[in-house]
Amino acid sequence: MQAIVVDHLTRRFENIVAVNDVSFQVGVGEIFGYLGPNGAGKTTTIRILTGITLPTSGNAYIFDYDIQKESIRARRCMGIVPETSNIYDDLSAWKNMMFSGELYGVRLPDRMERAKELLATFDLMERKDDRVRVYSKGMKRRLTIAMGLINNPKLLFLDEPTSGLDVQSNLIIRQVIRDLHERGVTVFLTTHNIEEANVMCERVAIINRGVIAAIDAPEKLKATIQSVQSIEIGFDHPEPGMMEALQKIALVNEVRKEGDKVRLFTSHPSDVLPLVIDYLQTHHIRPLSVNTHGPSLEDVFIRLTGLEETSRASSERGGS
Amino acid sequence: MSYSPEYLASDVKGAWAIAKKDLEIYYVKPNIYISGILFPLFMLLAFAVGRAAPLVSLVPGLIAITALFSASSIEPVSVPIERRTRTFDRLLSAPVSMFSIVLGESISGFMFSGSICFLLFIPGVILYQPALISIAILVLGIILSCFAFASFGTVFAAYPTENVGEVMSLLNLIRLPLIFISGVFIPLESMPLWGQTVAIISPLTYASDILRFGFEGTTHFGPWTDLLMLVVFAIIFQVLGNFLYRKFNI
Repeated sequence: MQAIVVDHLTRRFENIVAVNDVSFQVGVGEIFGYLGPNGAGKTTTIRILTGITLPTSGNAYIFDYDIQKESIRARRCMGIVPETSNIYDDLSAWKNMMFSGELYGVRLPDRMERAKELLATFDLMERKDDRVRVYSKGMKRRLTIAMGLINNPKLLFLDEPTSGLDVQSNLIIRQVIRDLHERGVTVFLTTHNIEEANVMCERVAIINRGVIAAIDAPEKLKATIQSVQSIEIGFDHPEPGMMEALQKIALVNEVRKEGDKVRLFTSHPSDVLPLVIDYLQTHHIRPLSVNTHGPSLEDVFIRLTGLEETSRASSERGGS
Repeated sequence: MSYSPEYLASDVKGAWAIAKKDLEIYYVKPNIYISGILFPLFMLLAFAVGRAAPLVSLVPGLIAITALFSASSIEPVSVPIERRTRTFDRLLSAPVSMFSIVLGESISGFMFSGSICFLLFIPGVILYQPALISIAILVLGIILSCFAFASFGTVFAAYPTENVGEVMSLLNLIRLPLIFISGVFIPLESMPLWGQTVAIISPLTYASDILRFGFEGTTHFGPWTDLLMLVVFAIIFQVLGNFLYRKFNI
């Protein structure tokens, strides 16, 4: 049995195809990342999988329950944390938890025990009787996740869980996701934070313009684009004309200035590095740091979503 | 999706949870109650000034109008707000059916309206001193009227917008004319034939008629027809609400 089976799912909104013939599976206990630029179809996919939106065609199953025909049974298995912290500002954290538990049919003694446990985990217990209206963004986010866990779900949908949060909230949320994984809970995570997906997810799907561009383990995806390995050099005093000179080094595909560092993209870093060192020594330039990088998941994301072309076209327009 | 009876218990519990939440957030507030009580008093003044009829004769119509306006006013405000804050998605994604959501939204309006109507009902009973059987019919009539009108408000709240004004203008477009076509302050017998025909399709007609029967002993359709029609309207609005929420919100 799979936790999620998505079978040729399509959703149209008048002339727009938000999700186009998408198929994938998520195993039980897996942390699955769902990445894509804004408007790629991530939220529409989640809304279909959680039964809020109906697909135009195709099917989706949650633990073998058809989300259209057996949506209530399917929803009983899941917890949902949407991108917007959809909590009731006029209720206290405690009442929000109680309402969520009641809606999911959790018995009162279990509801109370679970609420205490979750509010303590998310460091909200001391403020449990305050109206949520006065909570910070991070506290609201933590409460939203706690509400999503009140029914002890087997599957948790997390839509941008750490977006724009403070360090404390980020740390708590990531630790909770790790704990859930250890307990065998399946996590479906959408995020803009590609490094977060890289660190946390066992597999990721990259969706672009409603179509799945790739699905695999992060390391396997990175291995598909070895051409974007890079050498990063930090300088004390960059020389004038240095960027142009570095660009002319053989096998260097692109040179990009990133803050106080310069990054040289190449598919052969071991060949390029001696040439770079040679150039620096000849020109008496002392580097502060030299690092080589393999392709990141962000590189994969940029390559597959076409953001590279968008960025290049934009810089060309800016330069002309 | 076909409805399975195994969901009934969880749906009823879900509806009650939604109703309690709505009552706490939107209804049980001093300003809402004050406006709920002041509204019928203003209506009383509006219809009493310049009329030769005794003030007490306006009580049945007044309670009927209060039931209509108090039961149907809050959901068309709260649902668009919940759409904007995305809390409505929390209901849509919960393991309860649409029946449960619509029922829960209606129960909160019903309870609020019922409490306001009974505040008016008490002086009505003191003034008219109806028989015990009439009091029982009046209580039943008020309960059914409040639930039918709360369901009516929930139907309008299904309109897919986050803008409260859009729903309220649509609601008032229907709700205000009902006062004049339902025999509330003008007896049905005094209305032209076309007016009497139109009155048949208004739930307010039956609410007003059953209250007039309970307080004054006069009726146009008979008490059982009134009660039956209020039940029919409540069912129609619940079913229509289910259909519209499915159509517009999923």
